[in-house]
Amino acid sequence: MKHKFSDFPLQLKIAFIYVLSSVLILVVNMSLLIGITTVSARLQRTYEDNLSLNEMTKALSDVQSSMTQYLNVKSSDSLEEYYISEQTYRNLINELNVEVTDSNADVMQRNIKYMSEEYLDLVSQTVEAKRGRNVEKYRQRYELATEMYNFINSYIDSLNTRQFEDNSKTYSEISRSLRSMQNISLIVIIAVIVTNAFAIINYTGRLIRPLRVLSRSADEVAKGNFDVELPRVESKDEIGVVTKAFNKMVVSIRNYIDQIKENMELERQHKEKELMMETHLKDAQLKYLQAQINPHFLFNTLNAGAQLAMMEGADKTYEFVQNMSEFFRYNINKNDEIIKLRDEIELVNHYMFIINVRFAGEINFIKDIDESLLDADIPSMIIQPLVENAVNHGVRNVEYDKVITVSVKRVENNVCVSVKDNGVGMSEEIINEILSGNKKKRTDSMDSNGVGLDNVIERLKIFLDSDDVMSIVSEGKNKGTEFLFYLPVKETDYV
Amino acid sequence: MKRKHRGTRYFYIVTYIAMILVTVIVTVGFLRVYLRTDPRSSRNETYDKYYVLVTDDRESAFWQSVYKGASDYGLNHNVYVESLGEGISNDYTKAELMRMAIASKVDGIILNADESEEMEQLISEAMDASIPVVTVNNDCSNSRRISYVEVGNYNLSKEYSKQIMEIAGNMITEEGQMVKVAVIVNSVPSSGQSIISAGIQESIENSVDFSNLISLDLVTVDESNSFAVEESIRDLFMQESLPDIIVCLNELDTTCVYQAVVDFNKVGQVHILGYYDSTTILQGIDREIIDSTIKIDTVEMGELAVEALLSYERVGFVNQYNTVDIILINNTNIREYYTEGSNETQVQ
Repeated sequence: MKHKFSDFPLQLKIAFIYVLSSVLILVVNMSLLIGITTVSARLQRTYEDNLSLNEMTKALSDVQSSMTQYLNVKSSDSLEEYYISEQTYRNLINELNVEVTDSNADVMQRNIKYMSEEYLDLVSQTVEAKRGRNVEKYRQRYELATEMYNFINSYIDSLNTRQFEDNSKTYSEISRSLRSMQNISLIVIIAVIVTNAFAIINYTGRLIRPLRVLSRSADEVAKGNFDVELPRVESKDEIGVVTKAFNKMVVSIRNYIDQIKENMELERQHKEKELMMETHLKDAQLKYLQAQINPHFLFNTLNAGAQLAMMEGADKTYEFVQNMSEFFRYNINKNDEIIKLRDEIELVNHYMFIINVRFAGEINFIKDIDESLLDADIPSMIIQPLVENAVNHGVRNVEYDKVITVSVKRVENNVCVSVKDNGVGMSEEIINEILSGNKKKRTDSMDSNGVGLDNVIERLKIFLDSDDVMSIVSEGKNKGTEFLFYLPVKETDYV
Repeated sequence: MKRKHRGTRYFYIVTYIAMILVTVIVTVGFLRVYLRTDPRSSRNETYDKYYVLVTDDRESAFWQSVYKGASDYGLNHNVYVESLGEGISNDYTKAELMRMAIASKVDGIILNADESEEMEQLISEAMDASIPVVTVNNDCSNSRRISYVEVGNYNLSKEYSKQIMEIAGNMITEEGQMVKVAVIVNSVPSSGQSIISAGIQESIENSVDFSNLISLDLVTVDESNSFAVEESIRDLFMQESLPDIIVCLNELDTTCVYQAVVDFNKVGQVHILGYYDSTTILQGIDREIIDSTIKIDTVEMGELAVEALLSYERVGFVNQYNTVDIILINNTNIREYYTEGSNETQVQ
């Protein structure tokens, strides 16, 4: 299977970029260097044809001087010298151009070559004539040769000058070109480096991008956001591996969290259900207790009503029955658990009337009530059981005047409700028993409406959402008992 | 996505290759452009034949024009024509140049000859070395040259005579005295000048009206060295009595006389009949300092010379005489040849 480049290890990729850009810079530098080297080599060769012309001038003058020398002294040295220089010069002129072109220099070379041949011919004739001692001939030939020598010299000089001019022009052109080439090279190198840098930045950016995406995601995850979009796995290199592992991890964590959430939700629902059940149970208990109250009380009142009817005439009976009916009505109507304090006090009034009928007005019932607080909320059947308790257990068996006081007043931001009797009082032990709810219910008491103190306290606890809802104060035997509890003031009370 | 990625990678590789290519192209292009300036690396056109023009007055517009005619015509016929001595720093005489040409084994010589014996001998030498010689403008009539390209010299002399008589006629009416005419001829005898001066002389002598009224002098100017002509002409103006009409038979004489007339403040007093239509001479006509000049089709002259050499090469013989047309330019037709401002040379 063919390996994709993106699957290569990171190291290989980075090395690839490095090698590629190195090769680029190398090729660029090499080609620029080749260019510059070629041009500077050309620059160095500029004047070489001038040099060769100078060489030619020297060889020519050697020929002429050796010939003259020979003519002067006829020495074998000078003859040898002549032969050598003649050969040298001949070699040199053989290199000259013979083609006719539209370059003046070419034509001049051609003319120099032919004139030189003519000259060498004349020189050799001169030397021959000298050898043959033909004075007339060698003089004449010498003249001609010298004229030709001057022509050639003049030609070579002119060619030299011309080539020097051309070469100077070429030289300055080439050196200018060399300079501009250096500038261009600089620009090219800078351009290549900049482009290369951009390409590398871009490419490495592309290479690193998955890593950056990964780090962003990791950062998000670190901040607690597990709902990040999972980075895509684009390659099989190290980054790809890490990304894949990260993705797996995030998915796992997500699953764990989901599971934990689910568990918590279940627990919560469970607790809620439990609470509901508890509430319902309480409610049922309350309902049950309230339902328990009625038959007993109804029975007792009906007894009292019957007694009254036997002893007295219709008026009082009427009043009694009236109060009874109110009392029952209250019990039936105000059975909706939370009522106004006012209604509760009303209930106590009716109750006390009924009780006073029973006790022949023995119980002195005093109300000390702040009317403005009567709108406070209170669970039904709270004060009446307390009053009933005061009647049954507080003052029933005392010989002195029986007083029961109900007071409602403001204490700080609360409504303080107090039910006080001057009866037998209550020992600390009993008080604690009552408050802790451990007091055994006396179900045998037929005079009660069935709502015991523990019930009252329990309901107050639920209503006020507090454990400490009631205080019972008794200063000793026959010094009476006071039940105190506090209700929240209703805001409308202030109005 | 993968494909896109691969595309990006290719894009980078392509970018790199492009950068490398650009650099290589820049370098190669640079080398090509600049090494083309190398004279040795450039290919020159080569030619089969090599003719030289030998004259002692290369720089004059006349000979420049003849050379151009010959050269352009030659280039079209695979012949390279060189004005011999052009590239050489030393100044050589025609004879020396001829010797150079012979020694250089040229393929043909176009020669502004003269009637000297030396010239005759040199032409023979050349012909012996199988180098054909064509004379132009001035002949060496006794030589073995293959052909002579001439200006219609006899016609030219008639034209000059007509001009002289016209001017003389006007002067005689005004002043009624002898009109002095100077014909400037060169010290070295040349056939062309001889024919012209003889022609003028003959025409005037044969004229019933003017034969006694015009005195014709041949003024010889020294041309033995470079600046002698100019000095000789200056000498002419230093003399007591100036000629009324000066006839010049070459471009250099005309230019010198024109300059001298201006310098010696003799404008209007001396009539100049010039030769050739260089810008300076045309300007002289335009300013009415020179009365007239002769326009010679110098280009044709060069062409005919090359043509003569080529046909000699081809068939072994050629017309002995070739004639070039002449046109008279004076202030009536100067506008056809010269417009103010087109001049390049100014008379100082």
